[in-house]
Amino acid sequence: MVDALVEVHRVLAPGGILVDARPDSRVQAYAERRKPRGFQRFGVVKTSRLELANDRASDRAITRVVRDGLFKRRRAGRFWHRVPFGDLAELRRYLWEHLRFVHRAEWVVDVATRKRHSNDQFVIRRAVRYELLAALRTPRNSRKRD
Amino acid sequence: MSSVANDSVGDLGRHVPALSSALRPHPLDELREWGGSPLVRGKRVLDLGCGDGRLALGVARFATRVEGIDPDPAAVAAAKRNARKAGVRNVRFTAGAAQHLPYPDAAFDLVILSWTL
Repeated sequence: MVDALVEVHRVLAPGGILVDARPDSRVQAYAERRKPRGFQRFGVVKTSRLELANDRASDRAITRVVRDGLFKRRRAGRFWHRVPFGDLAELRRYLWEHLRFVHRAEWVVDVATRKRHSNDQFVIRRAVRYELLAALRTPRNSRKRD
Repeated sequence: MSSVANDSVGDLGRHVPALSSALRPHPLDELREWGGSPLVRGKRVLDLGCGDGRLALGVARFATRVEGIDPDPAAVAAAKRNARKAGVRNVRFTAGAAQHLPYPDAAFDLVILSWTL
């Protein structure tokens, strides 16, 4: 990852901007049902341990190139994004087969209620984090990379 | 702020992550969060890990030139198809690795790593 970021620094003009955006595994994702007004949360979707480790590795790579003087942190933030599914079954299939997530979202209501709403639209609401980094002209130091 | 796409994702993205655009925010929603069109306007942009070109094609209308690169040739082929379909002419897609970018030094004003790192 650090190698890729060094390449990014090479192809960026001095003062150019690097945008790093990815799912924010530091906060949980939610399973929600669409209602006439808004959404009803009915489950929590956790990130798999492997993906958490990958995300931490990405964080470390960014920290490394900032520390090495290739980039300067400019601005960071987070926004929420909803991934829509046609019905509850589709959402469940997605969760079972998607490697990023670990927990199944269970909707704890009586059978009649579940049947009544099983064709409603369901979504996964997940956080996306982003950071803008400015490319610096020359590294502050020339520490050898791993 | 939260956004929701119009179409459900179906099977998309489960087995072919590079083509999972339907799972991602709309490019203009994402751009707005980062700072809006001024971030891209008149710039030379590289979308690193471009997948099927979702973001590259989304920001192309503001940029001078957009390059998309992805290690997955199938994703790059899909991106090229999408560019032709959308009639976008200032975008070029290439298959390649992030560790060896086929571009000269200082070739871009903005590099985007969207759901890539």
